[in-house]
Amino acid sequence: MTSAESEGMRRAGLLGLGLTLFAAATGAPGKLHAAPETFNTALPVAEGEFVFREQFLYIKASDDPSPADRDVEILGGISVLGYGVTGDLALFGVLPYLDKQLDRTASGGRRVTRGTSGIGDVQLFARYTVFQKDMRGRSLRVAPFVGLKLPTGDDDDSDGLGRLPQPLQLGSGSWDPFGGVIATYQTLDYQVDAQLSYKANTEANGFEFGDELRFDTSLQYRLWPRELGAGVPGFLYGVIETNLLHQAKNAIGGRDDPNSGATTLFLSPGLQYVTKRWVLEAIVQIPVVQDLNGTALEDDFTVRAGFRVNF
Amino acid sequence: MNFKITMQRMAIALSLVLFASIAWAAQVTYQLRVDGLACPFCAYGIEKKLNALPGVERLETNIKEGTVIVMMKDGATLDRATARQAVKDAGFTLKGFEQVLPGDGR
Repeated sequence: MTSAESEGMRRAGLLGLGLTLFAAATGAPGKLHAAPETFNTALPVAEGEFVFREQFLYIKASDDPSPADRDVEILGGISVLGYGVTGDLALFGVLPYLDKQLDRTASGGRRVTRGTSGIGDVQLFARYTVFQKDMRGRSLRVAPFVGLKLPTGDDDDSDGLGRLPQPLQLGSGSWDPFGGVIATYQTLDYQVDAQLSYKANTEANGFEFGDELRFDTSLQYRLWPRELGAGVPGFLYGVIETNLLHQAKNAIGGRDDPNSGATTLFLSPGLQYVTKRWVLEAIVQIPVVQDLNGTALEDDFTVRAGFRVNF
Repeated sequence: MNFKITMQRMAIALSLVLFASIAWAAQVTYQLRVDGLACPFCAYGIEKKLNALPGVERLETNIKEGTVIVMMKDGATLDRATARQAVKDAGFTLKGFEQVLPGDGR
C-alpha cells in the first residue's frame, strides 16, 4: 500500500460515514405507485403515461464509537419519473439532490464542519411484469428490474481542508449496475410488497463502495374509509416497512477498509394518503439492528416525506 | 276518409317508434368489470386509457365493485376488444363487458 492509499484509508476510517446511511439515501430505486415508501412496487404504469414522485429526506447519524464524535446530516430531495412503455414494461429515472454535512472533532479538540450539496448520481432502470394474476379487487404481480447508476454527481469536490472523503462526495464516480425482483399482492383492504435487490458497486478514484444486498418488505393497511362506498374515495393507509441492508466493506486502493461495511435492519412506520391523481406520504426509518464494522458511524434515523402525481 | 285517418295514425305511431328507437340508441352505456383494480391511484390509469377512446363521453368508476361505467356520446359505440385493449394498456384485466340497458338501474 502506498502512503497516499494509507492516508486515504486512515481518513476513510476517521471520516467513514456509515455505509448504510448513504445506501439508504439513494439506494432504493424509484417507488411510484400507491405502494411502499422506501422501495419499489410491481404495480403498473399505464402505457404512454407518466408518474412523478418527489421525496424529501432527512438523515441523521451521530452515534460515533470513535473519538472524532462525528455527526452527519443529509438533507435531500429525490425526484423519480416513471413512464409506461406498455402495461407491463416501465422505465424509471431517479435524480437525487443532496446536501451532506459532517461535523467532527479534529486534532486539538476543535470542531470541523465539512460538506457539499448538489445533484447526485442518477439511476435509470427498467421493470417488466413477468407474472400477473388479477381478480376482483385484488392483484398479484411479480416484476424483475435491472438498472444502472450513472456517475452524474460530483465525485471530486473539495473544501478548505482539501478533497472531501469519498463517502461525503455527491457521486461515487462509478458506473454501478443493479437488479432485483419485486412481488406485490394488493387488495382493497391492504397491500403487501417484497423486494430483493443487489447493487454491484465498481471502482472509481481508487475507491470502491461495497456491494449492497437488500431485502425490503412493506404492509399497507387501509385505515380510512373503514367501509367502501361508491366511486373512488381517497384511501388513508397505515404503513409498516422493514429494510434489511447488507453492505460489503469498501475498498481503498484495492484493500478493504476495516471501518466500513454493515448489516442494518430498519423498521419504518408511516402514513400514506392515496387519491386518483396524487399521493401524500411520510415515513420514519429507525435502525433496530446495526452490525457495523470497526468505527463505522451508526445511523440515528431517516425521515422521508413527499408526494406522487399521475399525469 | 277512415283509410286516410288510419294511415295518418299509423304514420304518427311509426314516427314515434322510430324516434324512440333513435333516442334509445343515441347514447349507449357499458359496464366494464376490471379485475386487479384495488387502489385509487390505479383507477386513474384505467380512466385515462378509456377516456382516450373515441366516442367516450363520461366514466364512473366504482372501486368497491371493480367496475367502470362508460357512457358514450350520441351515436358512438364501444366493442369488447377495444375496451379490453385499453384496460390491458393500463396494466389491468377486463373480466366483464356488457351494455347497460335503460332501466337497469346502474
